[in-house]
Amino acid sequence: MKQIALYGKGGIGKSTTSANLSAALAESGLDILQIGCDPKHDSTRMLMHGSRIPTVLDLIREQGDKNLTVDDVVHQGFSGVRCVEAGGPEPGIGCAGRGIIATFQLLERLSALDGDVIVYDVLGDVVCGGFAMPMREGYAQEVYLVTSGELMSIYAANNIAKAITRLSKRVRSNCRLGGVICNAKNIEGERELVAEFAKRINSSLIAYIPRDRVVQLAEVHKQTVLEYAPDSEQAAVYRRLADELARNTRTSIPTPLDDDELDAFALESIQV
Amino acid sequence: MNSMPSPSNPSRYEGCTLTGALAVVTQVRDAACIIHGPAGCTHHNFSLLHATLLGNDTAAIPRLISTRLGENEIIFGGEDALERCIARVHEAPPAPAAIFVLSTCIVETIGDDTAAVCARGWETPVIPIRTSGFLGGVFQTGFVGALLAAGTLAEQGSGQREGVTLIGEKNLEYDVDENYAEVVRLLAYLDLAVNLRFVRDTDTAALSRLGTGAFNILREPALREVGEALHRRHGTPFIDSFPVGLAGTLRFLREAGKLTGRDTRDAVREEEAYQEEMLAAFADLAGARVRFDRLSPLLEEDAAAGEVVAELAAALDLRVAQDGIPLPPPYPAPVGTAGVRRLLHRWRRAIRTNGRRSF
Repeated sequence: MKQIALYGKGGIGKSTTSANLSAALAESGLDILQIGCDPKHDSTRMLMHGSRIPTVLDLIREQGDKNLTVDDVVHQGFSGVRCVEAGGPEPGIGCAGRGIIATFQLLERLSALDGDVIVYDVLGDVVCGGFAMPMREGYAQEVYLVTSGELMSIYAANNIAKAITRLSKRVRSNCRLGGVICNAKNIEGERELVAEFAKRINSSLIAYIPRDRVVQLAEVHKQTVLEYAPDSEQAAVYRRLADELARNTRTSIPTPLDDDELDAFALESIQV
Repeated sequence: MNSMPSPSNPSRYEGCTLTGALAVVTQVRDAACIIHGPAGCTHHNFSLLHATLLGNDTAAIPRLISTRLGENEIIFGGEDALERCIARVHEAPPAPAAIFVLSTCIVETIGDDTAAVCARGWETPVIPIRTSGFLGGVFQTGFVGALLAAGTLAEQGSGQREGVTLIGEKNLEYDVDENYAEVVRLLAYLDLAVNLRFVRDTDTAALSRLGTGAFNILREPALREVGEALHRRHGTPFIDSFPVGLAGTLRFLREAGKLTGRDTRDAVREEEAYQEEMLAAFADLAGARVRFDRLSPLLEEDAAAGEVVAELAAALDLRVAQDGIPLPPPYPAPVGTAGVRRLLHRWRRAIRTNGRRSF
């Protein structure tokens, strides 16, 4: 079983990328479990044709965790991808990070963490220990950073790299950086910029996803690109991504940039 | 303000803010205390208070209620649980005259707005005390915070000023009532009576008198923050400590006289004679070789305790030497002449026991 996690700045396209990745992996005959780890709980919406599945934390809140079964929390979506949403507290109260930990504990207890590949789609940044849960021992072995060429997005990716470095120092940790995925915003020189960033943090650009209108079209039809436009060039891009990730065995412990290095990188990127 | 003055008692500069705060507010007998957090925080403090009070021959059961948070409340927020708990405590007979709400580390971590829930127009006063030790607080921080919070029950602007208010008696110390009796004895020289023990064995209504005393006496200088706050709120001047040691006791009398415009010469003369008489009863200790070990090498020397040791060694002709008989250091510092007498009894026992052993 391969477990991978996608992290990146909010709004960068993690959920779109995750859902299409899962769909593409499933297409090739693999059993896929996608777990959305974000209180916004919209990671699996396109796989579920727009319907919002009950989140693990909603179920715990409403029914308690005693009588929950795998069928309550795992829902079958497009192409057989099994979908889970962690969910979270109401905005502005409680502790979403602890919610992620409770979700993982429940999934463990239900023995729900199985399949050929588990894809964890995790909220914007590793804001606290709870959101680092998918990187801990026994969960994702490979983390992929999703970023565009925008500097804010690269800063966030660098922060996540810091979390990976920190956690990789733990004795039994097997969490590594698998690579950087560029989800393009159509900025000039974007691919080179993100590739250069990946190199500087001791990783590599593993996939470049160009911006394509079909992604938005698929979204308004509440479908993944693989379902809405299976013959499109963009669907082929996601299939290549899936193929790349499934085969990838090159991982690294990142060397995140410090503030001065980030500033220098930003300056260079502007001058390019 | 995080005041960490020279420690006179190490246990107060460690420990949990909750324990410090509860040592104060559980003395308001008709109030209830809600501890907003996991059940364990309440259980642990209940046990500790109960055991300590029993050790001091008090069988009062503190009225502590826990909001009993579990993981779900931590994830989804504990404010609703607190609101339900406050409502429940309102209804539970006997109806409390005031409710103190103490926060714990975990509810501050997840950002529960305890003060906002307390401010929701309840029938009885609901008073929040921010007692989350991880914010840097210790027993003493909780103690000070609870005094300031309980102080909000005082009535504003009173005309008449009568009697003396004692601030922050150490309710968990063994000598608390003996120390009170000593202060009462000394104040009687000046025809002053105690108006309020803030806060010891009292009720919510009595707390309204907080601002009506002629002056306040703080239990120890570590409470200056409270003394200053009460001075700002009610204009009440204060003496920053109970009397400590022999010279300290005479200073205390003069200070109390100055604050109330009384002539203290007779009182001081009389007390001095009383001290001479008391010391004479320990004349047998003269010439003993003694030493005073620090309570903990980690603690700074306490100035007040140092002064007491020096004045007593001189008055009793004790020889302080490295190889002397170890005597218990004066922690907590002895209050008044009576406190010194009790300390000297302990020293005498140590000298006799150890002296016999070494011969």
